[in-house]
Amino acid sequence: MTITLSRRDLISAAAVAGASLICPDGLMAATDRQPWTLGVADVEGDIAPQALARLHGRLPCGLAGTLYRNGPAKFRRSGTAVGHWFDGDGLMRAFTLKADGSATLTARFADTPKRRQEARLGRIVVPGFGTPAGADVIITGADDANAANTSVIMAGGELLALWEAGSPMRMDPQTLATRGFKTFRPDLAQMPFLAHPRIEPDGRIWNLALSGGSALVWRLAADGTLQAAQGIKLPRASYLHDFTATARHLVIVLQPWIADKQRLPFIDSMTWQPEKGTQVLVIDKADLTKQRIYELPTFAFFHLGDAWEERDGTIRFDGCIEADPTFARVSAAELVKGVHQPAPMPILSMIALFSDGRASLTPSGVAAEFPRSDARRAGLARRATVHVGNYRADRPFAQAVAVWDWQTGKDDAHVFGADHLVEEFLLVPRPGGSGERDGWLLGTTVNLAARATELHVFDAGRVAAGPLCSWRADVALPVGFHGCFAGA
Amino acid sequence: MNVHNPMFVTIIAALTLVVPMLALAAPAIAAETPDFATATASIDLHFNGIATPTGAIMVGLYNSETGYATGKPLRSFMIAATTAAVTQMLTGLVPGRYAIKAFHDVDGDGQMAVNPFGMPVEPFAFSNDAPANMGPATWAAAAFDVAAGTTAHTITIK
Repeated sequence: MTITLSRRDLISAAAVAGASLICPDGLMAATDRQPWTLGVADVEGDIAPQALARLHGRLPCGLAGTLYRNGPAKFRRSGTAVGHWFDGDGLMRAFTLKADGSATLTARFADTPKRRQEARLGRIVVPGFGTPAGADVIITGADDANAANTSVIMAGGELLALWEAGSPMRMDPQTLATRGFKTFRPDLAQMPFLAHPRIEPDGRIWNLALSGGSALVWRLAADGTLQAAQGIKLPRASYLHDFTATARHLVIVLQPWIADKQRLPFIDSMTWQPEKGTQVLVIDKADLTKQRIYELPTFAFFHLGDAWEERDGTIRFDGCIEADPTFARVSAAELVKGVHQPAPMPILSMIALFSDGRASLTPSGVAAEFPRSDARRAGLARRATVHVGNYRADRPFAQAVAVWDWQTGKDDAHVFGADHLVEEFLLVPRPGGSGERDGWLLGTTVNLAARATELHVFDAGRVAAGPLCSWRADVALPVGFHGCFAGA
Repeated sequence: MNVHNPMFVTIIAALTLVVPMLALAAPAIAAETPDFATATASIDLHFNGIATPTGAIMVGLYNSETGYATGKPLRSFMIAATTAAVTQMLTGLVPGRYAIKAFHDVDGDGQMAVNPFGMPVEPFAFSNDAPANMGPATWAAAAFDVAAGTTAHTITIK
């Protein structure tokens, strides 16, 4: 693949970055701190393995393994702070459920060059999604800025902590020790690897590397080895956190939040251009040159659900759709300061791409984020979407977990309430089961009253009945992003 | 206009220095006017930290900020990278300020390998081990004094 680079522009961007200084108002005011700010508090070090206290219920038979969850957990160093929720150091958490019904928690920071540099200087200096470069920062490549903080997958026995603008970070699945960045092939070192790969039911992994309007399509075998890496051009340089896929197609949604200049932090390189609408690029997995573009009304988004394809060629998928990117641009930056800045709600919506070229967007009316579904049905028809939601006007973060059923139009929800910051829940199928909701929802909350992180299991078919079993740690970890489950 | 995520392309600027050196693949001497009366200095140049003993270390020697910035070396040459550390004696130099850019052409194709988004994927270094920080090391950081006689200079290539 050939990509023309404007090196002069890049040098200018570097100069701009070098001139920027950390903004002192990035600090959270110690006074008037709201209870929810526990969700963006700093964790000062690794969390040694600890037994979780069981609050009620009993671990369901057949559910054993480890829930790995990743998310930022260190935002501030002596008077300086990151400029955005997305720029904290990645803390990998392992919640292990044992067959004897006990549960443990271990958490370790990814030992990244970013974390080492900032620890050595005692200041936040590394530029990121919304953090300008600080004085004296040294960046020799993408992975010097890699926070390894967004999601996690298991591939080939390796636990990979994912960011979106650099390499996966390899961590030990047992000890969570950092092993170093993953290079799939020497000539692909430091290529970005989005935090939302799409994994087929047989384990094959598809992902994207993005650089403005240029992309590289990663295809990995189930064991994490590289099968192919091929460049494609995108019709626009949209901000792209997630894409989706059917069994046969990659589906790349291009929101009109477009990189149109060279700036650090990254968020300053993009302009919201609502007049341009949203495009969807559909690419044949078997021949990446076979592409089709659909047009949708303007929206912003972070997360999509798995897609599927019907007999007549119609492609369907859901996503958490926002009217504009205010959350990403403003609210998620303000969070770190302890400020709640309301933004348009993400609404779970169904998108259909018809074979005659038309496309439609149908909102469910339900506020939702962190959509997940049955991994055995990835790329295949499904009706259930696990999500968090029930947002409050007076604070950020969800207070409920639910399963939305696209067939009945009903949301089967459990509201934890104002005392909980609800994080992503996964759908874990019951071993030997086959039904889409024959399994459990597994996830975590930050209990603000107990000032502790909790682990909860639900019957995926009866969420409103409340958790089957809950455990509590003796520590509150900040609200994280995404996880994966590795069965025992 | 090409627009790239600055988070992973800033390092590309380093290429603006390294790539022009590729013209040096043939160890030709650039426009150097030898003056045997004043060329009384030598650099005993050492490279260490060579992780893969294959290919060659490709080196550009610069004697001015302008030449350094525009990629016009005083001399360019290659050193077979047969061991973890290699050396080369540079003789017949006029005493003054010099700087060096180098990369390890691990695969021996004569070019600085880059990934599909243009980031260097072969080891490179500058004199004084000056860091490439969101771009190439500056002349000010990489330049060192060479007096009459022999000056030893060691660069770690990584």
